[in-house]
Amino acid sequence: MTLFTKVGCGKCEYVKERVDLAALGVAVEELGPENPDALAHLAWHGLVNVAESNLPILVLEDSSYLTGAVQIRKYLEGLGGQAA
Amino acid sequence: MGEVMELNRGGPVPRDSDATDRVLFVRTSDMEIVNWDRSRIVEALVRETFLDRDTAERVAEAVDQMIHRSRIQVLTAPLIRELVDAKLIEMGLESARRMHTRLGMPLYDVEELLVAPNRENANVPHGPEATNLTLAENIKKEYALLAVFSQEVADAHMRGDLHLHDLGFIDRPYCSGQSLEYLKRFGLNLPNSLANARPAKHPEVLLAHMVKFSAALQSNFAGAIGWDAVNLFFAPYLEGLPDRDVEQLAQMLIFEYSQQAVARGGQAIFSDINLYWEVPKHFQDVPAIGPGGEYTGKTYGDYEKEAQRFLWKLFDVYAEGDASGRPFFFPKPLVHITEKFFQTEGHERFLHRICEVAAEKGNTYFVFDRGDTAKISECCRLAFKLEKSDLEDAKQPWRMRYSALQNVTLNLPRIAYRAGGDDTRLFQQLTERMELAAQAHLQKKAFIERLLSQGERGPLSLLTMNRDGQPYLRMHRVSYLLGMVGLNEMVKIHTGQELHGSEEAFRFGLKVIAHMKLTADKLARKHGMHFVLEQTPAESTAYRFAKLDLKYYSPAAGSAVRGDVARGEVYYTNSTQLHVGSPTNPVDRVRLEGLFHPLIEAGAITHLWLGEERPHPESLARFVMKIFRNTHNDQVAFSPEFTTCVACARTSRGLSETCPHCGSDEVEGITRITGYFTKISSWNKGKIGELHDRQRTAGYFSGAPSAGAGAAEA
Ligand SMILES: [Zn+2]
Repeated sequence: MTLFTKVGCGKCEYVKERVDLAALGVAVEELGPENPDALAHLAWHGLVNVAESNLPILVLEDSSYLTGAVQIRKYLEGLGGQAA
Repeated sequence: MGEVMELNRGGPVPRDSDATDRVLFVRTSDMEIVNWDRSRIVEALVRETFLDRDTAERVAEAVDQMIHRSRIQVLTAPLIRELVDAKLIEMGLESARRMHTRLGMPLYDVEELLVAPNRENANVPHGPEATNLTLAENIKKEYALLAVFSQEVADAHMRGDLHLHDLGFIDRPYCSGQSLEYLKRFGLNLPNSLANARPAKHPEVLLAHMVKFSAALQSNFAGAIGWDAVNLFFAPYLEGLPDRDVEQLAQMLIFEYSQQAVARGGQAIFSDINLYWEVPKHFQDVPAIGPGGEYTGKTYGDYEKEAQRFLWKLFDVYAEGDASGRPFFFPKPLVHITEKFFQTEGHERFLHRICEVAAEKGNTYFVFDRGDTAKISECCRLAFKLEKSDLEDAKQPWRMRYSALQNVTLNLPRIAYRAGGDDTRLFQQLTERMELAAQAHLQKKAFIERLLSQGERGPLSLLTMNRDGQPYLRMHRVSYLLGMVGLNEMVKIHTGQELHGSEEAFRFGLKVIAHMKLTADKLARKHGMHFVLEQTPAESTAYRFAKLDLKYYSPAAGSAVRGDVARGEVYYTNSTQLHVGSPTNPVDRVRLEGLFHPLIEAGAITHLWLGEERPHPESLARFVMKIFRNTHNDQVAFSPEFTTCVACARTSRGLSETCPHCGSDEVEGITRITGYFTKISSWNKGKIGELHDRQRTAGYFSGAPSAGAGAAEA
């Protein structure tokens, strides 16, 4: 799974603070002006337009995705990823 | 030395006489003959260069002596200038020499151009008006490379690191998009015009204004002239008109544009008409302007049916083609498919109709505007997401005028040759090239601003005319295009595989474009200019880059360029597209190419080459809907191929050597070169090479919808 985030994105911080992403094996891609890899990865999943107004985005193993910080948190917590 | 035109030795010249004994004459540009006076060289050097008078005197004296020693019978102005320039080089005065350069063409070339038959091909216009244009373009190109762009930028263009488009039109912006509302509100009221017209009262007059204004714009822009929501903005003029008259108007509109090959230099106006089945959300509540420029008291939302009636008639005309059944080359119909399209009554029937036209004639461009973001396509492929200020402008649609100032394209494969497989070097060079392209844009911008600063008395008076509180060309809204050619070959050189070859290769391609997108954004912030990526159509650039790379980067280039090297039919793949010959099926091509599109702000397109195939319209319609729902592709066009017969004036499907109707071999092939239809005989060698390689859809859409299964599975 990959969590797409951005610097200065409050909702992204919300998920990162509340969920132990590393424990769940969620890779974090931080979009920003110096990170073409993250943007290319985002484009590969066809989420460039979604990311314009909806960060964070969680991309699941089957390439489907979730948006909305609370929804993402709940989904990940359901997998047992509550931060200690 | 502007007025020194020609220098003759006066009177009959005895063979053995001393030339210095005779009087020398000069023909001036005012068609006068005056006495030779070497101080004119001095004046010219002081006026045109930064030389001081003493140095200029020394140059003039040396040239004077050279002329007198030479015993030449007739001296011409270009020769004098060459002698002066030779002397400047000899004296180490290189910058003065550059400033003193004469622009022009050798006598031989001019004669070839004016008198000889057109050897290049039979289709490029070759009349007196066309040769005027060629002569002017040649001089303007030279001027641009010497006087508008820095040497660094000009050299990069000459070497083929990048391509500065439309150098022959250096004194114009690139393309322009606008709406009929400008003409409906202000009439045809152009600076320096002999007669001004008030806003049209009748639809055919509005059409005449539209066509004339397009021609005026063609004279002020290098490239495409686009019109927004044409069927909608015509609608208030069509109320109560019998169907027959609307049909007639549709026919006139398409024929007027397709027969404008009598305009600038014999070139048709590269015209786009943007069309909507639905009333776009941003125009729904906008007060409609009707005959005489008066508000009708309704909003555009009220004109849905009239707009649809006109739109339907336009496609009837496209379906029929011209008198020989050929597809119309211009105007290009861009049909926008939005979320609202699918909620608008009759959309199924209309979609079927435009797919039928796409299948039969290929004209339809399907433009996908997904989500809530309002978007308009403007000139060439330039599309804008409407931002807040635009949505404000949409309330007064005549204000919606957009332009791209210039297009600069990067040669991506060359960067790969130079990077030698090293990622860091590749991305570093990519950044450097983009910075250089930005310099080219800054230089062109400065030049255009200089012309614009002269206002309605200057050369770009049309663009400075102020009818609504701002100049016609809204410089603060202008875009600067950064194009790319040969991503596919760049990836192949760098990773060993083409874009369609592996996921790894494809994702590397995405990274290159992501890097370009972020760099464009950075340059935009740095310079306060709207830099955007564009898919360069590259009719000639893809050929030029491949040729230059063969010259400078062989042997590596020998295996990287596409086409037939032995025949010189070489090219690179356009922009970010998969190779035209890749075996990728249409669904995957649309989906994969579409992954690049959101990164390419100024518009992108996927071409599907139908060849001889005559798709089932319903199969195409289902495919189009799936593209909208399941991919990120911005725009798709389907290109059939045709053979048209000069002897019997009939058109048949597919490319053949002889006419299937009458057997004549006087036939012309027609298909899309990139973004528009042309006769194949006018193509450059690179595009001919590409045509051989094109992977046709080969029956993919031919069956009934259930059988055309692939189409339905997008
Ligand atoms: Zn025939």
